[in-house]
Amino acid sequence: MTILGGIGFTAPWLLLGLIALPILWLILRAVPPAPIRRRFPGVALMLGLKDDESVSDRTPWWLLLLRTLAVAAVILGLAGPVLNPDDRAQGTGPLLILVDGSWAGAPRWAERAQLIDAQLTDAQRAGRTVAVVSLAQPEAPVFQAADVWRSRLPGLAPQPWQGSEARVDDLIAAFGDARFDTHWISDGLAHPGRDRLLSDLQARGDVRAYQTDQPVFALAPARFEDGAIQLTALRPMAGAQREVTLLAIGRDPAGTERVLATATPVFEADALTAETALVLPAELRGRLSRFEVQGQRSAGATTLSDDSLRRREVALIAAREDREGLELLSPLHYLEQALIPTADLLSGSITDLLPANPDVIVLADVATLSPAEATALTGWIEAGGMLLRFAGPRLAASDVSREEEDPLMPVRLREGGRTVGGAMSWGEPKALAPFPEGSPFFGLALPGDVSVTAQVMAQPDPTLADRVIAQLADGTPLVTRKEVGQGQIVLFHVTANAEWSSLPLSGLFVEMLERLAVSSSAKAPAAEDLEGTVWQPELVMDGFGRLRDAGTMPGVDGPRLVTEALGPDLLPGLYDSGDRWLARNVVAAGDALAPAIWPADVPVAGMAVRAELPLGGLLLTAAIGLLLLDVIAALALSGRLGRARAVGTTAALALALIILPRPGHAQDSDEALALAATGEVVLAYVLTGDSEIDRISDAGLRGLSDMLFFRTSVEPTNPLAVNLETDELVFFPILYWPVTPDQPRPSDGAYARLNDYLRSGGMIVFDTRDANIAGFGAASPNGRRLQQLAAPLDIPPLEPLPPDHVITRTFYLLQDFPGRHAGRDIWVEAAPPDAEQIEGMPFRNLNDGVTPVVIGGNDWAAAWAVDEQGRPMVPVGRGFAGERQRELAFRFGINLVMHVLTGNYKSDQVHVPALLDRLGQ
Amino acid sequence: MTDPLDLRARAEGEASRLPPLLARAEHLAGTVLLGEHGRRRAGMGDNFWQYRPAQAGDSRRLIDHRRSAKGDTQYVREREWQIAQSVMMWVDQGASMRFSSAADLPQKIDRARLIALATAILLVRAGERVGLTGTSLPPRSGGAQIVRLAQMFTQDSPADYAPPEHRAMIPHARAVFVSDFLGDMTDVRLALTKAADRGVRGVLFQILDPVEEAFPFRGRTIFESIGGTMAHETLKASDLRDRYLDRLAARKAELADLTRATGWRLGLHHTSDSAQSALLWLYRALDGGTA
Repeated sequence: MTILGGIGFTAPWLLLGLIALPILWLILRAVPPAPIRRRFPGVALMLGLKDDESVSDRTPWWLLLLRTLAVAAVILGLAGPVLNPDDRAQGTGPLLILVDGSWAGAPRWAERAQLIDAQLTDAQRAGRTVAVVSLAQPEAPVFQAADVWRSRLPGLAPQPWQGSEARVDDLIAAFGDARFDTHWISDGLAHPGRDRLLSDLQARGDVRAYQTDQPVFALAPARFEDGAIQLTALRPMAGAQREVTLLAIGRDPAGTERVLATATPVFEADALTAETALVLPAELRGRLSRFEVQGQRSAGATTLSDDSLRRREVALIAAREDREGLELLSPLHYLEQALIPTADLLSGSITDLLPANPDVIVLADVATLSPAEATALTGWIEAGGMLLRFAGPRLAASDVSREEEDPLMPVRLREGGRTVGGAMSWGEPKALAPFPEGSPFFGLALPGDVSVTAQVMAQPDPTLADRVIAQLADGTPLVTRKEVGQGQIVLFHVTANAEWSSLPLSGLFVEMLERLAVSSSAKAPAAEDLEGTVWQPELVMDGFGRLRDAGTMPGVDGPRLVTEALGPDLLPGLYDSGDRWLARNVVAAGDALAPAIWPADVPVAGMAVRAELPLGGLLLTAAIGLLLLDVIAALALSGRLGRARAVGTTAALALALIILPRPGHAQDSDEALALAATGEVVLAYVLTGDSEIDRISDAGLRGLSDMLFFRTSVEPTNPLAVNLETDELVFFPILYWPVTPDQPRPSDGAYARLNDYLRSGGMIVFDTRDANIAGFGAASPNGRRLQQLAAPLDIPPLEPLPPDHVITRTFYLLQDFPGRHAGRDIWVEAAPPDAEQIEGMPFRNLNDGVTPVVIGGNDWAAAWAVDEQGRPMVPVGRGFAGERQRELAFRFGINLVMHVLTGNYKSDQVHVPALLDRLGQ
Repeated sequence: MTDPLDLRARAEGEASRLPPLLARAEHLAGTVLLGEHGRRRAGMGDNFWQYRPAQAGDSRRLIDHRRSAKGDTQYVREREWQIAQSVMMWVDQGASMRFSSAADLPQKIDRARLIALATAILLVRAGERVGLTGTSLPPRSGGAQIVRLAQMFTQDSPADYAPPEHRAMIPHARAVFVSDFLGDMTDVRLALTKAADRGVRGVLFQILDPVEEAFPFRGRTIFESIGGTMAHETLKASDLRDRYLDRLAARKAELADLTRATGWRLGLHHTSDSAQSALLWLYRALDGGTA
């Protein structure tokens, strides 16, 4: 591929064709455009005229330019131009693609995979062997063909840990003395040993780095301080001010995982951390399972919550509540001091506290309980509660659990207990013995100054050995425990205050309470705190921050859990030990993210893979577009465009005629119908369902409309067809209704509309079209049908049209009303019975309104019908007599429409002479 | 467009807008057919004019016995001499007339027929006799003649430029020639001189398309007559414009000279103008009697 000006050409020799462009220019310029043939009558005048010049009109320069550009586009397009040609330096020899593969690369992992794929493609093209190695999971590089690696590419995934010295050492050892170039796809974070690895790789060949400039965010474990959850977001490099959104995710009461709260800490400019405090109710806080940085799908941006956020509810109950002012002697004082930072304390009576379902109930030197209390307490323990009892003078003095084991005591007690090392006794105060293996306290360091001066003694029982979890140096039990149901009962054989021992004064007391899960630590436990515990993984996290069930993964020793670096053997996740939960997060408290710094001699490229974009298709398309433009321009130049436009208009018109329904059917939408019907006067006809009759009706009303337009000041537009069932009728002054024997009877709703129409002044012209041979009786099918159709209509009494009816003189003077047939009788609304002929008046004063119906059988529409050219469609009569009959039919139609539109105006005209006569006097 | 009924309907529409036209009869002699124009002199006709004493040479059939019985003198009843003017028309049916430059303009022939027929209707209403030159349709009166005229007008001629029909012209009648007069002038000249010889006077009515006046063509063009018999190729139509317009003006001037010499009148009408104005002009030209 040849690269010219940033664009590569696959066939650069074709570009020589561009040299031909000037020649083409000259040729195009020399050749005149093709002549137009024009029909022109004036050619007779032109015969013999000679052209002044022999040169034709030249093609204008811009048209030439257009054509030249089109040809140039074709040449360029065929030369195979490629935008963003792949000009990466193609080395030779083996290539190592080294991926950091840590969680930091997870958010844009698809991009990295794409980049690796592109590199593999390049290597394949260059015939290089490739090895792909993830630094998070180092293995000996195997240099293979690129397509082999490409098939393995989907298996490459980010790991929830980072590279380390040990892994770098492994890798360098695995390289042996091989020499290769390296493409290092970095996650943007530094890790131990990285510099060493880089210098080693540089010694073996060229190193190129690929690193995105997208920021990496991480989330430190949440802490609970000052009544709020403290969240800290981290970034490796200081930069501009930036806000991130943290999601607190947990289960809602229905058990569905959802976002329970959000917080938006802000990285100040040049700050590496952003902190925020999230205040949540204890109930909600107890549900939280993890926090995430929104939009960062990585293990580092996810932090799991554990017991540190959970505060247990501890109910403290002591026997002696009536001693005032002796706080330090209160059996609960030390407990309160130990628990207040990490637990919610409740106080009250047992019956009051049990419904609150505390995690722990502490009975400090409480000897006897009422049977009701004991029963309730037993039930609570069996459901998982923990009863923590402390001995004391009362317990020692009572008979509780003396003869037989009390259900609420772990062991039987000897009477009285013992006192050692006091002023009245021999012996030293007893120290604690190391905690035995299997005890929850196993691994806790024993401070030397803890001594016990008095204790209650356990009766030796077969079960005693199992129940002792801490004992004194002389082997007497100090703490005993018994499992009851899902709960447990723990008895400290000393008091909860410093009366009998110095244990409550020591830090050990707090640690022991923590181990018993009476309290939970507010800060991350140190290795020594976890000495001797084994933690079982429950949920583990992958590099993307996705949690999965740990299944049968082996347990982890406590110190290892908090100290060892994460790796294949120690996955981040949620671990449990007994009742305690501990989360191992990718980012530990106090960690900082270190940005990857590249030395100046390593070229660093962005991650974006600029896809090669072949431009040939675009250019060829452009060439076609230019040639089309040329067609239009050439047409325009030669004056043919106008005709083309006319042709286009004709075509569009023809298309519209094809698409539009021929008869002006009343539009579907009421609004369109209303607009069409009210913009102008519109005559309407009823659709009968017989297409031929509907066609004649349409043509007839069109002919009548034309005639009205032509002869009168009524200027109707094209008639509309009306579907009685659906269309609104009130817009139409007149409704022509041809009666056919088989037309369907309108529905009741349609009749309701028709009656409204008649009452509001409309007129329906019924036309039986049978020349009234039956005299509107039932003798003809049309007549029968008319009777059926008109029966539900609100029609007044009718009479044959009297000779002085106003319809005989509204425009023309008529006495006959022929259509295609020349029947005389048409029926209209009857005159009022009191209408009398007045002496001297030619007409009676009739019908102070418009007759709502006109019934006839003369087939008027057929007589009126004209086609598009205005020719009559249906023959009427014979010869000129027939023309006369048609003329009379039109006159009747005009009179009819005039009657509808003007009412009895002409009837009033008969009074004009009388009015003038009166005015004259 | 060529449907006779439609043509007639539209012509009726045009004619309905004008008062009836009474063509003035200048000449009595020759046109002996009786019409409604009383000549205010005794002659052939239906209406009574006067009684005069019978003279030698009067046919006995002419003696009015009722009047003569009142005295001794024998009277002859004279009737008013009534004539009708005969108007002969010639509408160019040639192919050159079947041209319109734009979709919204009518063809020249369409306009010519319309105006001619409208004139004919006016004349017939006024009681004149209207016909075509030549022998195909001699002048007659009555509404049926309109139908026949319309029928004749629907017959296209295949020739590119039809020569005026000048045969069988009735002496001292009136004539209307409607054409674009773009064809050979020899025939026109012949027809007009022949008409002038017979005392026929009338109107030359030239109908042109606006494009024929404007010549808005450019570029290399082959102009063809409508019938396709003539063609003229030019490399640069825009250069031709002025010379074409000169020739058109010369043609108009020639027509004007010709009409001046023969006592005819020359009218010009463009199809882009209203037919009404053309009819009005033609009405004036026929009614004014100045021709």
